[in-house]
Amino acid sequence: MTPVIVFIIGVALAFDFFNGFHDAANSIATVVSTRVLSPRQAVAWAAFFNFAAFLVFGTAVAATIAKDVVDPTVLTNKVIFAGLIGAIAWDVITWFLGLPTSSSHALVGGMAGAAVASAGWAALISSGLQKIAVFIVLSPLIGLVLGFTIMVSVYWIFHRRERVEGLNRGFRRMQLVSAAAFSLGHGANDAQKTMGIILAVLIANNIVPADSEVPLWVVLASHTAIGLGTLFGGWRIVHTMGSKITKITPVGGMSAELAAASTLFFTARAGIPVSTTHTITGAIVGVGTTQRLSAVRWGVASRVVWAWVLTIPGAFVVAYIIYLPLKGFG
Amino acid sequence: MRISRRALFFFVVAAVFLVMIPPTPPEYRWLNLVMAGISVFWAVLLWIEEASHRRGALDEPPGTVAPAESTEPPPS
Repeated sequence: MTPVIVFIIGVALAFDFFNGFHDAANSIATVVSTRVLSPRQAVAWAAFFNFAAFLVFGTAVAATIAKDVVDPTVLTNKVIFAGLIGAIAWDVITWFLGLPTSSSHALVGGMAGAAVASAGWAALISSGLQKIAVFIVLSPLIGLVLGFTIMVSVYWIFHRRERVEGLNRGFRRMQLVSAAAFSLGHGANDAQKTMGIILAVLIANNIVPADSEVPLWVVLASHTAIGLGTLFGGWRIVHTMGSKITKITPVGGMSAELAAASTLFFTARAGIPVSTTHTITGAIVGVGTTQRLSAVRWGVASRVVWAWVLTIPGAFVVAYIIYLPLKGFG
Repeated sequence: MRISRRALFFFVVAAVFLVMIPPTPPEYRWLNLVMAGISVFWAVLLWIEEASHRRGALDEPPGTVAPAESTEPPPS
C-alpha cells in the first residue's frame, strides 16, 4: 500500500469521524432533551452501539457507495480524494451554521461532483443515484408515519393506566433501548459509507478484486472512527434536533427513535444509503403531529429541509472545484 | 364537510408516497403502497375524530357546556 493510498484511507476515516461528530448527535438528541441521560452518558451510549453495529448488519450500503453511485472505472485516487474533501468541507460549513444536514448525501454529492469533473456526466450511474434521491424524500416520510403510528399505538395501549409516574419511568427506561436501536441503525448506515469509499480505493488500486467483499479491518476501522466521532459529539446539532423542532417527552422520544431505527434497519439491509438526520427529523415531526400540527415548529423544520435540498448540489460543486487543480497532477 | 388540517396533512403525505412510486425502484414500491395506506388510514381516522368533536360541540344546547376544569393543583 503506497503512502497516497494510506493518506486517502486516513481522510476517509477522518470523514467517518466527522460523520459521527456531525450526524451521530441526532441519535442522542431525544435522550438528552428528555433528560433520560446526561449528554456525556448519552454520547458514550450511542458511541458503543455505533461500534457494535458491525456485529448486526451486513455491508450492502458499502457496496452501493463503492459500485452504484459512480462508474467504478472512473474512481481514481484523485477523484475519491476530491469527493471526500468536498463532503468534509460541506459538513464543516453546515456544522458551523448549526444545520442538521446529511453527511451521507454530502458524500454522494462530493463523489459525484469529483467524478463529473474527471470524466463528465457519463461517469454517474443514474439507477444508483435515483435510488438514493428517492429515499431522500421517502426516509423522513417513513419516519414521520411510523413515529405517528407508534406514538398513537402507545397511547391506545396505555391510556387506561392511572399511574402516570410509573409509566413515565418505564418509558424512560425504554428510551435507552430505543436510543441504542437508533445508534445501531446509524452505525450500520453511516459507517458503511466510509467502508464503501475505502473499498473503492482498494479496488481502484487493485489491492482487492472488483467483486470483493469489504475486508474485516475496513469494517472495524470504520466503526471505530464513527464511534470516536460520536464520543466527541456535536452539541449545536443536538440542540436543534432535540428541542427546536418540537417539545419531546420520554414516550415521544422513545416512539421517534423506534420509528427512525426501524427505517434505518430496513434501509441498511436493503443497501440504501439514507440519512439518519432526515429519518429522525421525520420521526420527531410525526410524534409532534400526534398533539397538533402547530406543536411542530415548521420554521425550523423547513430550514432543515432546505439544508437537505442543498446538500448534494453543494457538496457536488465544492468537490468539482477541488478536483480541477488536482487534474494537472500526476 | 370541512376536512381538518391534520387529516389533510396525512392525505398529502399519502399522495407524496403515491407520486413517488414511478421513480422508486420496482423492488421497493410495496413500501410506498404500505406507507400510503397507513397515511390514508390515519387521515380518515383523524377526519372522523375531528368531525365527531365538531358535531358533539354543535349538538350541545347553548349554556349546557360545562366550564373547562382547572388544571391547577388543589390548594394544600
